Amino acid sequence: MMKALGSSRLSRRRFLIASASLGVGTIAAPYVARADDPTLRITGWGGKWGEVMKAEIGPAFESEFKCKLQIDSAFPYLPKLQASSRSAPIYDVLHTNSNEQWAAAEMGLVEPKIDPNLVPNLADVYPYAVSDKIVGVSIFTSAIGLGLRTDKGYGPITSWKELWDAKYNGVRGGYVIPVNSLGQAFLMMCGTLFGKGQTDLDAAYAALEKLKPIKIVDFTGAMEKMLLSGEVSLCVIHDSGIYRYDGQNQPTDFVSPSEGVLSLEQVLTITPGSKMKELANAYVNYMLRPEVQKRLAETVWYSPANKKVKLDAKYDAKLLTTPEKVSKLIQVDWKWYNERKDEIDQRVNRIFRA
Amino acid sequence: MQTSASHSPSLPTARQTTSVRMPGPARHYGRYLYLALNAAILIFLLAPIAIVVVFALNPTPFIQFPPVGVSLRWFEKFFASRDFMQALGFSLEVAVLTTLSATVLGASAALALARGNLPGTRLIVATMLSPLMLPAILTGLALFQTYVLLDVGRPTWGLVAGHTLVTLPYVVRTTLAVLHNFDTRLEEAAQNLGASPLRTFFEVTLPLIKPGVMAGAIFAFIVSFDQFPVSLFLVSPGNETLPVTLFNYLKFDLDGTIGAASVVSIVLAFVVVIGLDRTVGLRSYVKL
Repeated sequence: MMKALGSSRLSRRRFLIASASLGVGTIAAPYVARADDPTLRITGWGGKWGEVMKAEIGPAFESEFKCKLQIDSAFPYLPKLQASSRSAPIYDVLHTNSNEQWAAAEMGLVEPKIDPNLVPNLADVYPYAVSDKIVGVSIFTSAIGLGLRTDKGYGPITSWKELWDAKYNGVRGGYVIPVNSLGQAFLMMCGTLFGKGQTDLDAAYAALEKLKPIKIVDFTGAMEKMLLSGEVSLCVIHDSGIYRYDGQNQPTDFVSPSEGVLSLEQVLTITPGSKMKELANAYVNYMLRPEVQKRLAETVWYSPANKKVKLDAKYDAKLLTTPEKVSKLIQVDWKWYNERKDEIDQRVNRIFRA
Repeated sequence: MQTSASHSPSLPTARQTTSVRMPGPARHYGRYLYLALNAAILIFLLAPIAIVVVFALNPTPFIQFPPVGVSLRWFEKFFASRDFMQALGFSLEVAVLTTLSATVLGASAALALARGNLPGTRLIVATMLSPLMLPAILTGLALFQTYVLLDVGRPTWGLVAGHTLVTLPYVVRTTLAVLHNFDTRLEEAAQNLGASPLRTFFEVTLPLIKPGVMAGAIFAFIVSFDQFPVSLFLVSPGNETLPVTLFNYLKFDLDGTIGAASVVSIVLAFVVVIGLDRTVGLRSYVKL
């Protein structure tokens, strides 16, 4: 027994030495590898967006501006920014959807506007990208409309109101409004469709009641899959969630309702305490460059904010690339919405729980 | 009824036990019910794994039942993805480091608590187990804020410390369980025979408490490898664990890759358990 113990002790020692070496290596690696170049800390999406950013767009920026781009693609960004020091924020540039940017701006975590003198490409963006509904600048937008199964014989859809048609009972899809931007934007659209405007919450609540039965999901990606699998036949969705399956022979299509499409903006802002302001502005300007906009737009099917971008015909036909198409965008007043978010969350939870 | 006079009336013999059993058909029904209940529990436990496997092997980019075929495309995508492979490797590194630190700290703490005659032992034990009672997401947020205040960023050691915090209670609890019935006379005997305290520890104490320590280490590895809420706030760009990478992925691409990653995680957990069984003889610890 003693011999056995002795031999196991030897192997344990080896194991501990190997593990300790691994540990020291793991812990020390980032410090050893740390370069002297300045680092710009930004947030960004995962998926295809993240792939192109890591493989092409990010390295090109690093090379041109002699810096390191540190992209945090792990949600949630806002609580992390909130928890970090105002004078030394965890991010220099915040990239999120517009609703979160408004929340950040209200807390003073991001600068409300981008200086056009420091970001020359701002002069070339569509008005919606810097409107009073936007904090910072919108670099891309998606159109929120309706997703339809084309193989179920439901016929052409022209209006948002068709979502309330009884024939879609059990096969219509929506979102868990408290946690999903598309759901929140849709709630505002309900006020416009059935009441006096976006802020007519009573009309919106009544309309949501009449939407039941409805299948609701929290992630937009889950809605895409439900539509692909045929679990829903008509749903609220953004155009890129449909167009990304272009060429895969899927029986789905995006419908731009006659009342207009809601905008789902990809917004960049700069944090007030950033020590890399010059680089941050350069990054915003870089992301608005026509060639960068074209590459990303054609990768993830987002409509570019820069008017000068010329997309390939396939993308140009579907995305919002002309002033006429852009005029169909309906922007949500997120400042107004965020001020009432708790009250709205409670009410819609009651509606859908029932 | 045949009973021996030597038996106490309160302790029935095997024959007595047999004599009070239910009659034949009722006993059979009871047995079937028992088997059905066990089968239901097994199905309840294994059904999610089965669904994940079906999702991972189904060629369609969405969950479809019944599946339309068998394909390894999602496994190919998973193993071809640099992000997933990096995350898998990083998760394994963090889990190994966490297991080492939680095991050393937890077992030492349990020994001190069981043997040290410390004042307020119950309070200390409760404090050490408290991370299990707190929502892990709050633990992650609190640690994140602490690191920000200390201006250390989000280092790997910070993530390992966070994981150690939530896995330590498992090691403390399982080690305390074996120490509860520990016969200290064995240590005294070793020391009477001339063994130093260190030798006594490594050759008597440690082998005897190893079942508890190893059980805690296995828990620590699995909890760390699957840890999401604490990691959510503590991972840094480029150093993301597999659960965080999966979460970020499914916000944009909810396809079978998630299923493939889950299957790989399950297989890895099995490999760890089987590996421990082969190297340290896990079967002997089943009595725990």
